[in-house]
Amino acid sequence: MTAPSLEPLRSAMEGVYASIMATLDEDGMPNVSMISQVHYVDPQHVALSYQFFNKTRANLMTTRMAAVQIADPETFAQYRLDLDYIETRTEGPIFETMKAKLAGIASHHGMDGVFRLLGADIFSVRSIEPVAGHAIPPRPVPRPLLAATRATCAAMDACTDLDDLLDAAVVTLHDRFDISNTMVLMVGDGARRLFTVASHGYPRSGIGSEVAFGEGVIGVAARECVPIRICHMTSDYGYGASISETARAAGLVAGPGRQIPFPGLTEPGSQIALPLMSGSTCIGVLFAETPEPMRFDFEMEDALATCAAHLALRITLLQRDEPEAEGPEDTAPPPVSGGVALRFHPLDQSVFLDNDYLIKGVAGAILWRLAREHADTGRTDFTTRELRLDGSLRLPAHAENLDARLILLRKRLEERNACLRIDKTGRGRFRLNVLCGLTLVEITD
Amino acid sequence: MTFRTAARPTTPEADIRAWTDQSALRSGRVMLTPDLLALAQSGATILLAARTAEGRPTSAAAAACRALSPTRLRIIMSRGAGKPVIDALREGSRVAVTFTGSNQHHRAFQIKAETAVITPARPEDMPEIERQGLLFCEGLAEIGFTKELAAGWLFADTEDMIAVEVEPERIFTQTPGPGAGAELRP
Repeated sequence: MTAPSLEPLRSAMEGVYASIMATLDEDGMPNVSMISQVHYVDPQHVALSYQFFNKTRANLMTTRMAAVQIADPETFAQYRLDLDYIETRTEGPIFETMKAKLAGIASHHGMDGVFRLLGADIFSVRSIEPVAGHAIPPRPVPRPLLAATRATCAAMDACTDLDDLLDAAVVTLHDRFDISNTMVLMVGDGARRLFTVASHGYPRSGIGSEVAFGEGVIGVAARECVPIRICHMTSDYGYGASISETARAAGLVAGPGRQIPFPGLTEPGSQIALPLMSGSTCIGVLFAETPEPMRFDFEMEDALATCAAHLALRITLLQRDEPEAEGPEDTAPPPVSGGVALRFHPLDQSVFLDNDYLIKGVAGAILWRLAREHADTGRTDFTTRELRLDGSLRLPAHAENLDARLILLRKRLEERNACLRIDKTGRGRFRLNVLCGLTLVEITD
Repeated sequence: MTFRTAARPTTPEADIRAWTDQSALRSGRVMLTPDLLALAQSGATILLAARTAEGRPTSAAAAACRALSPTRLRIIMSRGAGKPVIDALREGSRVAVTFTGSNQHHRAFQIKAETAVITPARPEDMPEIERQGLLFCEGLAEIGFTKELAAGWLFADTEDMIAVEVEPERIFTQTPGPGAGAELRP
């Protein structure tokens, strides 16, 4: 007899419908309840979420048996799984994946620490039985995912610098996967925070907006280094608040006057956050969301995870093989003083144009340094190499994300239609274009 | 399904208070209070469990519940979908039934009994299947399910119905929160 396989049932373990769990006590008295997560482990094993000590738990520890009923949201087909309890895991990838999903949901719901996963209960499957009833035939796969994945990877391969790569990633996901809203966030140097460096499909780009590790689906994906996917937001614990509201409420963005609003959808129906991994280090997150529920199934996760892995690899490669060009330097006469005031607050390295917040942190420090040098010498051409070697910028020892910071700075200036621009002039080289009079003001606050 | 709503849940403590208030006139018998009777017949998610002849747990979902009296519930379900539970009950299994409110803030309770009686469905069961089905779908719509998804879960072939009658012997609050699972004692 062939061992029962859960493989064809993966879409019934997406958590769209809650599942039913039955157990017995030692006297044979049954107990029945709903369970939030039936997690696919492999064709012969599932993991169930252990969140509370209750009768189900007591029964499980005593009789080590469970029956679970799951339903496929596309075909409405239902299945009974007869399960034997093996063990409870409180660490490792299965636990982290389940915990992260729960944590992401809880975080958006403002219930950090309440929805806590105590363990991932691992079960072997004794039998799988279809529940009699009506089921409709599965819809043909509407998207050729493999072709979309290949096209996305090819579009990324065609990019020769980080700036183009990040933009290609978000645009191609939209074009090839028909995902309305996408963004890439990079991890800040030495800080457990992510900042948005590319986005697509939002009314405002949100470039420079920040998310802390552990906050929301993006922050949890980064912290736990696992993909986080919520496929039916409104049924998954009644997620309703926008991520931007959540982010603001959680203090994820800088204080008043120094905020860049997170561009997320107000009412997302589906979200997925995929960590960008360089070895065992998370260097960023690829994030996608749509207003429609159930857009991201496990097959879409597989496809997007492949794209994310490729994106991470391309980012790492471009950052490594960047030639540090040393070319002739142009100078331009320093413009006359006056015009716009460029204000710098050394405390948080924030920069304001007149009274409007522009950017802070390393990107702010870079802009201040460039503007000062330009004012002193008229110099306009710079290299990333000299920035890396500049101790005054307080860059960490391995400032892998300097390029991402420059992209962030360039896009912020562009968006603000500022009279300062940063233009690429070659790999590792860029030009500061000052189009108006600048007065540099250092604020000692 | 129903327990993932954004609505503020009632609490197990609230269930126990309501139970105590409404049980004042009863004398030692296990009787469902008016609010639990209402919940059971409000388009709730109704789940049953039993022990098979092989000694394994098994479960089924039901389509509707009719309170024949405060001490007897008639649960109507699909014969085909509920076969393992029905077979187990015919073999003398004990029974557990959980009712989870579709739009009542996660409120839930579980009844347990030593036996259950299996009877054919009757014509008067049919309007309740339809009425409670509509309420169930409305509850799902409130938490963001599409009509298609709600109807897909609910689909019931009225030609294939059977009824399970249960006299609750023990009742437990199953509303999520501290105290969940506490027995509501007579």
